[in-house]
Amino acid sequence: MIDFSAPYLQRAVIEMLLLAVPAGLLGSWIVLRRLAFFTHAVGTVSFPALVLASAWGIAPQLAAVAAALGFGAAQERLARTRRLAADAATGLLLVGALAVGVVLASDVFESGTEVDTLLFGSLIGLSDRDLWFTAAVAAGTVVLDLALRRHWLAAGFEAGSARALGLRPVLADRLLLAGIAAAAIVALDAVGALLVSVVLVVPAATVRLLTDRLAPLRLGAMALAAAEGIAAVWLADSLNVGAGPALAVMGGGVFALVATGTALRPRAVTA
Amino acid sequence: MNGGVTVRGLCGGYGTGRDAVRDVDFVAEPGQIVGVLGPNGGGKTTLFRALLGELPTRRGEVVLPGPPAYVPQTERARLDFPVSAFDVALMGAYRRTPWFRRVARRDRYNARAALERVGLGDRVGVAFGALSGGQRQRVLIARALLQEAAVLLLDEPLSGVDGVSAARIEAVFADLRAEGRTVLVTTHDVRQAGEWDRVLCLNGRQIEYGRPAAVLSPETLRETYGAELIVLEGGSRAVGIGHHGHAH
Repeated sequence: MIDFSAPYLQRAVIEMLLLAVPAGLLGSWIVLRRLAFFTHAVGTVSFPALVLASAWGIAPQLAAVAAALGFGAAQERLARTRRLAADAATGLLLVGALAVGVVLASDVFESGTEVDTLLFGSLIGLSDRDLWFTAAVAAGTVVLDLALRRHWLAAGFEAGSARALGLRPVLADRLLLAGIAAAAIVALDAVGALLVSVVLVVPAATVRLLTDRLAPLRLGAMALAAAEGIAAVWLADSLNVGAGPALAVMGGGVFALVATGTALRPRAVTA
Repeated sequence: MNGGVTVRGLCGGYGTGRDAVRDVDFVAEPGQIVGVLGPNGGGKTTLFRALLGELPTRRGEVVLPGPPAYVPQTERARLDFPVSAFDVALMGAYRRTPWFRRVARRDRYNARAALERVGLGDRVGVAFGALSGGQRQRVLIARALLQEAAVLLLDEPLSGVDGVSAARIEAVFADLRAEGRTVLVTTHDVRQAGEWDRVLCLNGRQIEYGRPAAVLSPETLRETYGAELIVLEGGSRAVGIGHHGHAH
């Protein structure tokens, strides 16, 4: 049985519980608004920034914010090139960021085994400062969701009428992307640059298979993210693996089970 | 309810290109239903965008008694979104609901009443995506009713809907007219537009505006639709080719 008296494990569990808040609130919008690829990209493009932050001894979150801002600007610039679709632009930047990160880590700074931690996360390295960052983002997520969920709902349902309903869809959507970017950045410490989708997308995608209502989706995704997070901490500590891969295996397995179960469920027959 | 719609010399468009609509000039009084006719790309939806304040206007002015309600074409809505008919109707109260408050009890009651008014009182909790096309259109109209706007803009609300839905929607139009609201409706069915109070013909610019009997002449329709005009029933009925390649 896991011994939660160890401070690093307590921090890991608190981190996972805090991450469950954006995983439920923002994760639902990520799934409904089809922003999973964006979420994955924000995590991945931060990889070279994390290598630099590690080498120069600066806060990884600040470096990741700079990377996310650069990503957003570059994507907007590329998206204006009409011959390049938005997802193709995202893919291009994502591959470029990985390549730059690998070159920086292997040839410039010779980061060695630390690359694994940057890509797949670590429970041991979590500091109190990391927890405070995550807590701030979790609290900010609650406020954002409270203020803007009607905008996100109406604009996601049918964007053309949102302004006529008295809403501000463009501003609300920009803040949604900013909130997702912030959540992805604070998830980096725990699950690494390549696996932020595992905490921000997979739980909501799993619960989406089970419900057609918004409130159960949000609460269910939050509860599932918390449960999977704690289980991942136990698995990672027991098997001495990264929390990111443990959570990925757990989340992927639960998603596969639920998807199989819903596929096999007898469907209602209408006369 | 008073005000109506006044548009004077309106010209506008997106970006730096040429005007998407120009020389639009009409007055729709309270209690009037205006049919807006025109070919695809003729500026009908663009005019609505201008009335909603979403189109950069280069010349002219639009005077409205308040923010209009807008009913989009139903296929623009996401059918996989987890919202019920009630959830969608309730969106009509968002403008007057502070972000930190729940939607008021009175608005929740009115949302149900609006759904009953369009004949969907028994479908309140049904997922929007599970409704028929005509029912979805009626839900979007219920949402507009809840906005309690003096001016309503409806983008092809009668395109492809079943007979029951069409009859319900026409009955709502009659109610709105009696309540003194101004209703602008885009349509490709010339005969249908002929039954309303005014007709506005657009083809990039305003071709004609006035009473149906005065406006709906073969010359005006030819100028409005050009090659997209189809004459049916021995010349007694004419339709424009719709957005999706079918006539209504």
